[in-house]
Amino acid sequence: MLSNQCVQSRLWAGRRPEVTAADIKPAPNQCGTEAAAPFLCTHVHTHTLCCNCVKTCCSCCSCELHRRGVETILKHAAVLFEIAWEVANKVGGIYTVIQTKARLTAEEWGENYFLVGPYVESNVRTQVELIEPTNPTLKQTIDKMNSSGCKVYFGRWLIEGSPYVVLIDVAFTAWSLDSWKSELWDLCDIGVPWFDREANDAVLFGFLTAWLLGEFAAQSEEPPHIVAHFHEWLAGLGLVLCRHRKLPVATVFTTHATLLGRYLCAGNVDFYNNLGKFNLDKEAGDRQIYHRYCLERAAAHCAHVFTTVSQITAIEAEHLLKRKPDIVTPNGLNVKKFSAMHEFQNLHAQSKNRIQEFIRGHFYGHLDFNLDKCLFLFIAGRYEFSNKGADIFLEALARLNYLLRVNQSDVTVVAFFIMPARTNNFNVETLKGQAVRKQLWDTAHTVKERFGKKLYESLLVGQLPDVSKMLDKEDFTLMKRAIFATQRQSQPPVCTHNMLDDGSDPILNSVRRIGLFNSSSDRVKIIFHPEFLSSTSPLLPMDYEEFVRGCHLGVFPSYYEPWGYTPAECTVMGIPSISTNLSGFGCFMDEHIADPTAYGIYILDRRFRGVDESCHQLTSFLFQFCKQSRRQRIIQRNRTERLSDLLDWKYLGRYYVAARHMALAKAFPDFYLYEPHEPTSATGFRYPRPASVPPSPALSRHSSPRQSEGEDNADDDEHYDEDLEAEKDRVNIRQPLNMSSKTPLIYMGSGNSSAASSEKN
Amino acid sequence: MADEAFVTLATTESYCMGATVVARSLQRHGTTRSIVAMVTPNVSQKSRLDLESVFDEVIVVDMMDSEDRYHLALLERPELGITFTKIHCWTLTHYSKCVFLDADTLVLCNVDELFERDELTAAPDPGWPDCFNSGVFVFKPSLHTHARLLDHALQHGSFDGGDQGLLNSFFSSWPHTDIAKHLPFIYNLSASSIYTYLPAFQHFGHNAKIVHFLGAMKPWSSHSQWEAGHSHTMRRFVSLWWREYDTQQHTTPPAPGKEPPHDSERTQLHTTPPAPLKEPSHDSERTQQVSTQDQEQEARMPFTEELDTSDSLLALSPITEEQRSLVERHREEFSHTGCTPVLEESKSSEREQSEDLKSLGTEDLKDSDTSAADITQQPDREQLERRRLWEAGHADYLGRDSFQNIQMMLDCFLE
Repeated sequence: MLSNQCVQSRLWAGRRPEVTAADIKPAPNQCGTEAAAPFLCTHVHTHTLCCNCVKTCCSCCSCELHRRGVETILKHAAVLFEIAWEVANKVGGIYTVIQTKARLTAEEWGENYFLVGPYVESNVRTQVELIEPTNPTLKQTIDKMNSSGCKVYFGRWLIEGSPYVVLIDVAFTAWSLDSWKSELWDLCDIGVPWFDREANDAVLFGFLTAWLLGEFAAQSEEPPHIVAHFHEWLAGLGLVLCRHRKLPVATVFTTHATLLGRYLCAGNVDFYNNLGKFNLDKEAGDRQIYHRYCLERAAAHCAHVFTTVSQITAIEAEHLLKRKPDIVTPNGLNVKKFSAMHEFQNLHAQSKNRIQEFIRGHFYGHLDFNLDKCLFLFIAGRYEFSNKGADIFLEALARLNYLLRVNQSDVTVVAFFIMPARTNNFNVETLKGQAVRKQLWDTAHTVKERFGKKLYESLLVGQLPDVSKMLDKEDFTLMKRAIFATQRQSQPPVCTHNMLDDGSDPILNSVRRIGLFNSSSDRVKIIFHPEFLSSTSPLLPMDYEEFVRGCHLGVFPSYYEPWGYTPAECTVMGIPSISTNLSGFGCFMDEHIADPTAYGIYILDRRFRGVDESCHQLTSFLFQFCKQSRRQRIIQRNRTERLSDLLDWKYLGRYYVAARHMALAKAFPDFYLYEPHEPTSATGFRYPRPASVPPSPALSRHSSPRQSEGEDNADDDEHYDEDLEAEKDRVNIRQPLNMSSKTPLIYMGSGNSSAASSEKN
Repeated sequence: MADEAFVTLATTESYCMGATVVARSLQRHGTTRSIVAMVTPNVSQKSRLDLESVFDEVIVVDMMDSEDRYHLALLERPELGITFTKIHCWTLTHYSKCVFLDADTLVLCNVDELFERDELTAAPDPGWPDCFNSGVFVFKPSLHTHARLLDHALQHGSFDGGDQGLLNSFFSSWPHTDIAKHLPFIYNLSASSIYTYLPAFQHFGHNAKIVHFLGAMKPWSSHSQWEAGHSHTMRRFVSLWWREYDTQQHTTPPAPGKEPPHDSERTQLHTTPPAPLKEPSHDSERTQQVSTQDQEQEARMPFTEELDTSDSLLALSPITEEQRSLVERHREEFSHTGCTPVLEESKSSEREQSEDLKSLGTEDLKDSDTSAADITQQPDREQLERRRLWEAGHADYLGRDSFQNIQMMLDCFLE
């Protein structure tokens, strides 16, 4: 370990990797704390960074002396403010990002981490515990602001990591909106229309946050090092003001998507092929969002460090905001670890059974397919027909149906569409299906009771039961009646609800066009559930997470998806998914895994191919998936689940750390040093190809669909050793984690650790 | 032309303010006709005396004085009271022809040509152009017409409960007979939220001759309400109105003479003479005097755009004690002017403003405001205008407001 890093740090410094006595010398720290010799830590670069700033730089350091030296310096450490409109205020997706990330950041910054958001009473009542400010400087700041006509609250946000929050009542200072607008106008000639409420809030919030930061800086005894991380355009103005007032603040601006990109994609523009050609001012102006766009672009322009959530959004930002992001900061999740090894497989089985129950009811009278050979696919998200890729999914399903029929496959595919639309409650036919199923269950139960009683009685008198007499006429009548009740003339419904605009609904119209009406000859069945799932639903009483766990494959062929939490959630639950190279998730996975398909991450090329070609590719993905045996699917799920470390904030948090360091180095060049090493190619590590043959039949020896029964045969054994493979993956993840969290930027720039690269070679 | 007159009506103290302005603005534009005010008995003696100083004649109208049968009818239907009051103008038979002007109008230039028209000449109502608006109309006083009007009212009532409904049903041939009885809209420009034809306003607005402050918000309601929630042009009209009103206030003549003293004399009474100028002709001197007063006026009425931004709440940190007190003063100012610090309220007032923005143009009006003050503040004005366009959602994003230019401003403070 020691020599490895030594060698590496020398490589980074551009020297020959020679370990000499010179390495056992205290590294030059600026703070003057010199650790007692022999100084074993060789983090040459880290020293210059961590001595002035953050804890994590060295908390991971194995060198005890070094750590102690650092902790004394932490007394005048930097302070981190993270500012977003969705702090303790759920509006959209940013809430999830901030909420899940909070724990890791709170661990890293401890008492010096403050989230700043708007005060919304209903949210505060349910999520925030208001307390006295713990930090004396911040207390003075808040007192001062409150005595000057603001309402600023301090508390703990009751989420994982319970971070401190500073909540500002924006409405309370609405009276100064006009003067602040004037100030904004004088500053940069951006006017904000009175009718755009959100933009007015952004002005108030921006001025208030800049005030907070300025006041905090003024209240500090010695010049503090503040890092302020702003999310999205709604908070962006605060950043511009910080720069204008020359506050001692290192600023980071993160866009999770660009405003203009969202609007253009919503308008069915051939977006990615024309990225460089848009007349931005005109497009924004024509869409009446010019002022918002200006605020966003101004923030991106003024930030010390500008980041986006994915490579694809980075490209978008480069063209639409005219600034290349300094670093990509992907979104993570807090991965829940089960103590039992394959608990997620058990959960899959449990949830799958519940979905099967639903299918039994939904397809009553038409249950002519084997439920054990039935695959559950699903697409979920906001109802944006083409942005979320529902269009090409439907088309691919039609093609898949044809392929399965032609190949006489015994696999049945049920595709769920979970996309909330305007409905008028459940439809009767669907509810009836569940009732019929329940009735059959009850009938069977009644007969079973009677049967059992007779059996018991006959055993009591010491006789073996006469089988022919166990069921009497009455029982048969009961059962016959129940069976008759399951007769059905109509086909099982496609949609579970009564749609309000049935005739113009894009999904239903596509279904009509491709003719997939759940008839018995179709191998692909479609169920459109136009409402979010809920565990209290009479139809499918499961929450979203349970449902996802019970499915076999998530399909998210989005056209516009800056990050894409849905496939990421699938992955951490061990469910394979299809995403695209236009989604942040797809890009990220493609970059980190040598053979994503083997890991159950199918990445569709929608960027460089036409719609038809993409659709063809999607069909082949689906068909491949259908051809897998049960065992292959289990192996694939194991691999998928192993990727969850990659999506954990514990791993992804480093990009945020890097962004903050970069900003500190830019804002306070005298105190911090940051050595960029092609930060955009920030590949922490790469999963190699799995050791065993990939489970995809297309790549294996078998070219035709196989009986799953055959999987127990010895010759089908693909030399799969779960533990061995898992261990290997673990090595690949763990090692860079240790090193790169010490020297995140430097490490990431250099690509692979020697161990990882040897693995690759 | 002693037998022709402009007539207005004041039913409350505040409408007296309006009536005063009507008279003053008529005089300022040199009308040759008499100016008559009708007041109801509830108006105080003092106000009546004040009115007498500007009007040629002040007449108290009291329905209780009218014939018994009307009197009795009125007791049964008290809601017609106000309507009857306005109808009373037909009893001014010592004039051969009159022009009625509501007390909430403002005359922008000489409109004596109205007397060339016949009864009943009026401008269309913006809400229902087949009806005329009864804020400005030409009529011939006649007791006979008056009696017929009263009868009509008792028989049919008024479909809108006011005088306009009554007059429109009485003069029911107005929409389709003589076009000469249709006044152009510029004689009764409804400066209110009802009117929404913006391009036309931009094109023709500068020709306006009489502005009519329709709606619940009157210029005299309060300075701050207008400041908070109305468009630029609207505020411009209101500021003109106030200017007219204040001139009058300053120059309350020592003796209630019939003939109002000449303008220049009046202004001189209360303004400090400007820096010595070459002895101008009487007329040009007058304009100069007025313009100084205009400037003064401007300073006295801080429009929101003209707020001094340097004492904005958001002072640079560290916020000094002095700045804090300033902030508090600032707040007090706001609360004094009745601006409640609640977002909802400011929003709603902004909404009102929105409607006005739609109704009133983005073009400046050519009004009596074009004085020296304007020319010196040209760049400022342009800035304000640009900002106003931005705030109305009409940024010139393909021209001077392109992001390129914004970025240049940003780069000024980024090293």
